[in-house]
Amino acid sequence: MADQFTITKLSNGMNIAIERMEGVKSVAAGFLVQTGARDETPDLAGVSHFLEHMCFKGTPNRTAAEINIDFDRIGGNPNAFTSHDRTFYHGLARSADFPKQLEILADMMNSSLPPDEFDMEKNVVLEEIAMSNDRIEHVAFDLIVESVFKNNTLAWPVLGYDRTVKALTRDQMNHYFRSRYTPANMVLVVTGAVDPDEVIAQAEKVCGHWKAGERRPDRTKPVMGKGIVQKTIDRFQQQVVAITFEGPGATHPLHDTAEAAASILGGGNSRFYWNIEQTGLAPYAGAYRLDFGDCGLFILMAQCDPQNADRVIDALRDEAKSFAAGPVSDDEIQRVKNKRRTGLAVEGESPHHRLVQVMDDVDYRGEPRTVEDRIAAVNAVGRESLREYFDAFPVDGEGLLVSVGPLQSSAA
Amino acid sequence: MAEAVHTQLSSGVELAVLELPHRRAVASEIRMLTGVVNEPGDKLGLAHLVEQSLDKGTQNHSGRELQDAFDEIGSGVNSWCGKQSSGFTSLCLPEYFGRSMELHSEFLRTPTFPQESCDVAIELARQELMALEDDAQGLADKHIGMQAMGPLLGRHTIGETDTLATITRDDFESFWRSNYCSGRMQVSVAGPMSLAQVQDVIEKQFSGFGDQSQTHRDSIPVEFNPVTTHHHKETEQEHMVIALRGVPKSEADYSTARLLMGVLAGGMSARLFTEVREKLGLVYWVGGWQEHPRGAGLMYFGASTTPERCAKTYETMLAELVRVGVDLTQEEVDRARTGIEVRSDIRGDVTRALCSEMADDLMHFGQPVSRALKLERLKNISVGDVKQFCEKYIKDAPRSVVTLGPKALES
Repeated sequence: MADQFTITKLSNGMNIAIERMEGVKSVAAGFLVQTGARDETPDLAGVSHFLEHMCFKGTPNRTAAEINIDFDRIGGNPNAFTSHDRTFYHGLARSADFPKQLEILADMMNSSLPPDEFDMEKNVVLEEIAMSNDRIEHVAFDLIVESVFKNNTLAWPVLGYDRTVKALTRDQMNHYFRSRYTPANMVLVVTGAVDPDEVIAQAEKVCGHWKAGERRPDRTKPVMGKGIVQKTIDRFQQQVVAITFEGPGATHPLHDTAEAAASILGGGNSRFYWNIEQTGLAPYAGAYRLDFGDCGLFILMAQCDPQNADRVIDALRDEAKSFAAGPVSDDEIQRVKNKRRTGLAVEGESPHHRLVQVMDDVDYRGEPRTVEDRIAAVNAVGRESLREYFDAFPVDGEGLLVSVGPLQSSAA
Repeated sequence: MAEAVHTQLSSGVELAVLELPHRRAVASEIRMLTGVVNEPGDKLGLAHLVEQSLDKGTQNHSGRELQDAFDEIGSGVNSWCGKQSSGFTSLCLPEYFGRSMELHSEFLRTPTFPQESCDVAIELARQELMALEDDAQGLADKHIGMQAMGPLLGRHTIGETDTLATITRDDFESFWRSNYCSGRMQVSVAGPMSLAQVQDVIEKQFSGFGDQSQTHRDSIPVEFNPVTTHHHKETEQEHMVIALRGVPKSEADYSTARLLMGVLAGGMSARLFTEVREKLGLVYWVGGWQEHPRGAGLMYFGASTTPERCAKTYETMLAELVRVGVDLTQEEVDRARTGIEVRSDIRGDVTRALCSEMADDLMHFGQPVSRALKLERLKNISVGDVKQFCEKYIKDAPRSVVTLGPKALES
C-alpha cells in the first residue's frame, strides 16, 4: 500500500480509506453506502434514490434547513448520488472545516426520515422522474438497462418508476434504511489536505458508536439479454440507437483494455468520430462502458436524424466488426493511452476527483490505487490485450439493439 | 500562491501566465476575440462552423493527422464558440506545451477548410438544431437569450436552419480571414512554466499572424426586451426562465450582484432552493445564474416543473426575488460570502480552473485579477448594499420571461 493511503477500521468495523494529498488546500469526504437500485425489490424500485434525498431532510439533531445552513456556513458543497449499486454522500471544504463537514455528513447518515417531509420530497422525486422522461438519452439508457438486464434487479431505473415511488411508504423506506445504512455496508472516504490520525479520531467520535449491523444480501450476477427493443415516442425529433454488448466488470483484468477499446472506437478523434460523425451521419456517436463489480456493458450509441437511423446502426456495427477483426496499430493504441495518462495526471490534482476514484477502488477492489497505479494499468494495454479482450467480449455479434425516437428502424 | 503575470507581446498577443511549480500539467486557453456577434446577419451559425472546422485540415496536415498529433502528446484539446470570443483549450504535460502550441498555431493560421469538411459541418449543425429541439432546457435558454439580449448578443451559436442553408465554403474562409489574427488573441497559461518559457513559445508561434493591432475589445449594448412569451412543446415538465438586467463584471456593483446570486441560488440554504423546493416540493431543479457579455450583465432565474405546479412555482420565485430586498439577513450574506470564498479556494487546487478564470479576467478586465482582490471586494459589502442593489435591479425592474412546455402561464 502506498504511503499516502491509510486504510483502517473503526471500533464498530466500519472501513475508512484516507489519502493524504500534498499541495492542496481542500478536503473531500464522503460516506459510501454499498446499496443501490439493484439491492431493492421490484415493488420498492427507487427507494435507494428517494432515501438519498431524505437523508438531507432531517436528523434527531437537525432539521432539513439546519443541515443546509450548517453546510453553507462552511461552504461545504454537499452532494450525493445513487447508482445501481451504491449511494455516495460527499462534500468538499477547506481543510480547517473538515471536522464540521464530517460531523454533518455523519449526522445525515442517521436521518430521522421526518414524516412531514416524506410526501413533500416524494413530489421532488416525481419531478426528477418527469425531467428524466423529457430527455431522450435518459429514456434510451433506461430502456437499455431494462432490456439487457431483464430478470435481474439491475433492470429498473435508479430513480424508480412513477408508480413505485408514489406507492412507497415511509415505513418501507425506514425498514430499508435501518437494514442498509450500517457500518457493515459503509465506508468513509477522505482525500486531500488532512492528517490521517486526526481523521480517524474524528471519525471514531462521530461514527464509532454506530451499531455494526449486517451485510446486505448478496447480489445475483445477471445474464445478458439480446435482441431488438424499439420504443416509438413521437414528441422527440431525434432517434437514439444503441447496440449493447457484454463487457468486463470493474475488477476484471481487461478493464483498462475495455477503456482503451471504447476510446479508440468511440472517444474523441476515434473511429466513430471520423467515420460516422465527420461523414455527417450523426452529430453524436460514441462507445461507452457501464461497470459494476460483477459485470459490465459495452455500449455503442448515437443520436441522429431519424431518417439516418438505419445507416447509423449499420455504421456502428461495421466499425465494431472492423475494429474487432483488426489490425489495430500501435500508434492508435498509444494515442488513447497518452490522452488517458494526461487525464489521470490532472485528475490526480483534485481532492474531489481522487475522492471518487478512491471510493470506486475501495468499493470494487477493496483497496485504493494511486494515480501511478492507474497510469501503469493504462500503460499495460497493448495489441495483445485488445485481442484477448475481443475474444472474451466480442463486439461483432448481435448484441442488444435499442432504438428510441419517432421512427421504428427497419434495419432492426 | 503566485500572482499571474500579464504582458503584451510584440506579436500582438496578450499573454497571462500563472506559474504553479508543483503542478503536473499545463492548462492553456487561447481566446480569439470573435464570436457570433461578428457573423453577417444572413449567415448565423458561421462563427461556430469556422471554430469547428479550423482543425479539419491545414496546409501541412489533414484533420485526422492533426488530431493524431495532439493525441501523440496526450494533449486534451477542446474548443467552443461564444458571443464575443472563441476558445481553444489544451491540457498537457509541461514537456509537450511547445508542441501543443505549435499545433494550435498551425490550425489557427493555416486552415484550408476542405469543401467536404465544410459540408459536413453544416449538416451536423442542422442536426444539432434538431437535437436542441429535444433539449427543453436548452431551448428555453435559447429563447430567453434572444429576448433578454436582443438580436445581436442574443444570437444562438448554432444559427438557424435557413441561415445555415446559405453558408458556403467561401464564407468560412472569409470569416476566418477577417476575424482570426494575433491582435485579437488573448492567451492564458497556468502550470509549471515560467513567463519567459511561455512567452518564447507564443512569440515564436504567433508572430506575424494577421492584424496585430488590438481590436474587438469594445462592449456591445444589450437590447433587453421586457416581455413574457410562451413556446409550446409537448414535454412532461414546463420550463421557465426569468431574466433581469444585471451589471457587468467590470463594474463595482458586480461583487454585490455576485453575493446576491449566492443568497438566492448559491448553496443548499439559498432562498430559491429553500422556498421553492425544500418548503413546497414544487420542483427538482430551481436555480439562478449570471451571464456577462463584455460590458454587460444579465441575471437569470429558472425552474422546471410539471404544468399543474407551474403557476405556483413562478409566483414563489417572483415573491422571493422581491422579498430578498426586504428581509435579507446578515447571516445569509455571510453564508453566501463563505460559499464564494470556499469555491474560490477549491478552484485554486485545479490548474485548468485557474487558467479558465484568468482567461475570463483578460476578457472582462483586460488583465488578470488576483483571487485575493476579488474576495477583498466581497468582504466590504453589507446587507444594506445588497438591499440597495435589489431596489435598483430587481424590485420594480422590467422582467423578460420565457416559458416552454405544454401550458402557458396564466396571466
